[in-house]
Amino acid sequence: MTQTVQAVWGGVLFGSVYGLMALGLTLVWGAVRLLNLAHGALFVVGAYAAYWVTSSLHLPILVALPIGVLAAAGFAYAMHMAFIRPVLGKPGFDNSTLIATVGISIAVSAAALLIFNPQYKVVPPVLTGNFILAGVQITNQGLLVIGASLALFAAVYAYLTYTRHGMAIRAVSQQQEAASLMSIPVERTYGLVIAISGGLAGVAGVLLSPFFFLSPNSGFNPMIQALIVTIFGGLGSIRGALVAGFVLGIFESFVEVFYGVAWAQPGVFLLIIVMLIVRPNGLFGIGEVRRL
Amino acid sequence: MSADVLSANAPRRPALDQEAAPWRRVSVYTVAGLLLAGLLAPWVLTRLTIGGYLLTLLILFFMQAVVAQSWNLIMGYGGIYSFAQVALFAVGGWTSGVLVHSLGWNPFFAILFSPIVAVLAALGIGLPTLRLRGVYVVLLTLAFHELARVFTVTGPRFISGGGYGLVSVGTFQFGDAVGDQRTIYLYYVAAVIFAIATFVIWRVIHSPLGVAVTALRDSETYAVSRGINQFRIRLVLFAISAFFTGLAGGYMTHYNGGISTTVFDFPRIIDLLAMIVIGGWGTFGGPILGAGIVIGLDQYLVAIGDYRALFLGLILAVIAVFAPQGLWPLIRSTYDKYLAPEPSAPPAVH
Amino acid sequence: MLEVKSLVAGYAGSEVLHGIDLVVEDGEGVVVLGPNGHGKTTLLRAITGLLPPRSGAVFLEGREITRWRADVIAAAGIVHIPQGDLLFPEMTVLENLLMGAYHRPTWSERNRRLERVYDLFPWLKDRGSQLARTLSGGERRMLALGRGLMAKAKVMLIDEPSLGLAPLTTQQIYASIRQVKEAGMAILLADENANHVAGLADRVYLLETGVLVREGPADQLLKDKALLESYLG
Repeated sequence: MTQTVQAVWGGVLFGSVYGLMALGLTLVWGAVRLLNLAHGALFVVGAYAAYWVTSSLHLPILVALPIGVLAAAGFAYAMHMAFIRPVLGKPGFDNSTLIATVGISIAVSAAALLIFNPQYKVVPPVLTGNFILAGVQITNQGLLVIGASLALFAAVYAYLTYTRHGMAIRAVSQQQEAASLMSIPVERTYGLVIAISGGLAGVAGVLLSPFFFLSPNSGFNPMIQALIVTIFGGLGSIRGALVAGFVLGIFESFVEVFYGVAWAQPGVFLLIIVMLIVRPNGLFGIGEVRRL
Repeated sequence: MSADVLSANAPRRPALDQEAAPWRRVSVYTVAGLLLAGLLAPWVLTRLTIGGYLLTLLILFFMQAVVAQSWNLIMGYGGIYSFAQVALFAVGGWTSGVLVHSLGWNPFFAILFSPIVAVLAALGIGLPTLRLRGVYVVLLTLAFHELARVFTVTGPRFISGGGYGLVSVGTFQFGDAVGDQRTIYLYYVAAVIFAIATFVIWRVIHSPLGVAVTALRDSETYAVSRGINQFRIRLVLFAISAFFTGLAGGYMTHYNGGISTTVFDFPRIIDLLAMIVIGGWGTFGGPILGAGIVIGLDQYLVAIGDYRALFLGLILAVIAVFAPQGLWPLIRSTYDKYLAPEPSAPPAVH
Repeated sequence: MLEVKSLVAGYAGSEVLHGIDLVVEDGEGVVVLGPNGHGKTTLLRAITGLLPPRSGAVFLEGREITRWRADVIAAAGIVHIPQGDLLFPEMTVLENLLMGAYHRPTWSERNRRLERVYDLFPWLKDRGSQLARTLSGGERRMLALGRGLMAKAKVMLIDEPSLGLAPLTTQQIYASIRQVKEAGMAILLADENANHVAGLADRVYLLETGVLVREGPADQLLKDKALLESYLG
């Protein structure tokens, strides 16, 4: 019984995390058709900003959280202005942005190493404490992560569906020319989406760092996971990111609990490969994937 | 209707324009000059005190250039966003290393198997992956990279060597040669590998296969509609790329006397990427130029330590966005202006 | 209202418009007639900023808007109903209409315009939550027109409204455009077919291979069957 509860708790927690990371990535892909390999860097920016606020400015984590989020969002917007906007609409867009985002990722990692040092940093959790449920330790921060993830999904969905700017984002992603004919500023809208995705990565960074130790390379794994979840759920689909996050999270958790940690990663990869063969578009994917 | 009349009315096929053949566009003198320089380099360099060191740099350059060219072949030309290059290098290196270390083979013989196993691995990855769209290739090849890494770290002892990789693997032996003399022999082996790889890749790029690849890259729908089999072409390119990459891996294993799991570290991938991007993405000479630049600059960059990665990352991003063609086109245009043979007059039209 | 001077535009490697001069006055209905492929769409796209012109100038109410971004031109009051409708496929009918009013009119103004659109095409009201991509060709055209009417327009550019439509729907569309024009809107209509434009055209230009070859009052040009046949086939 304890094992099952452990697996479920782990699964729901992982799932929320994956979903949160994937949300930003899939949002940007859907709106801008950009594969943002700097997503992990945004995670790191948010986390280190929060760390700096708590350790150097000695401010509470509740203040550090929004600052971290804003830092990540701002950085993302700057990245858009410097490296993405110049190539929007050009034929080499895919190539250029792929390499540019990889480059930014490395640069951020290196910068974090230089500004702070390679030693693991501790980012305080927003909620401390835990309790025992059926023999399993449930952390309050974990509950916060789950809650935040679900809340953010709902918020993003509502934003896109009901607000003027949210609808503009949808319009631009569906029919860019028509959007500009409606007087929607396309490039600025792209910047908005990228900034939002940065903020989401920042939230993930600040809320998740307490679970692991923060180091300059902390963004790499979350990003790979985000990529996997995004593809599994279907590129561009928010619903997909949410569902895929939980499916993969719970799957991984159960494999880990019942078969051991060593099988978790390979197990997930296997699931991905099966999905790509059976349904290349992912769970809720829109758009075609050519099969020859 | 007699056969004569028929043939007289048949459209006349234009004669193949020998002057336009790609191998005519590179001056024989340039190639001969480079070959000569390559042959004489050791003789010249050993006259200098740091000559031995420079030779080792050249060896490093040759091998990195081979891998960079191979990667550029599939990514820059083929548009296949594979991140499995380093893993294939490792496959080659480990193959040869294990054959020598565990089976006691001679390195010169074992190295012949590096490219073969690497190609097999490439086919293994390529068959499921190359049918899919770009972003999926990124993911799946990264997955392969990760799996290969994990395997070399936690795999059976004869591969993982306890988690560090293969150490104390037999190196190339050239009779009793030691020191600088041995370095010279090593240099020639590396130079030959580099020359063969460069030549093959050059021929592939300028062959009908290469033309098809560029067509696919530039306008996929049209190329496919013209009957170009995208999947098979990509597979062939992938295999060629893996062949030379694996070979380079095998060479380096016996050059270094071992191969460590650090070969999978991200900085290696970044360095290769930098070579391709700085030199010229999707160009022939780009990766070679880039390899030279990165290795050359590294001698200075090592001094600034951690700033190197920051510098490199920013350069990558800036070049990718603002100068996606890299530095090669500059060299190319200078060459065309001053050194290339004069194009002959177009054939008279009848 | 709208003035185009010596406009030259084209796509990579080819020039399509070789110097266009045209004028649309306040409340005027101007029609540009020309066969397919001769530059009608290019002309409209060059005016509204979807295609940057190579040379020449475009003026809206005396202000030069030539190289402005498309969204800025739209905000200035030029509405472009493009060829192919360019609806937002995954949005509902109502959402598409609301996007037309993106530039933020007041609620009451927006509702007023909605009512006006529903007067023209009543069915839009009933099927507000239907996804745009599930509509038929004629319905899409009407939605595209309706969406265009939601904006605060000074002049409307309409590209081949009858393209791909059944005759009955075609009549309906032109009737609606006529209504809009009669309410005072300046219209620049690009069309291949001279048949339906009689009621709404004040002046007609004939466009042939990127050059305006004739211009004149509608009642004259449209009656000259021989002329029209030689140009439009």
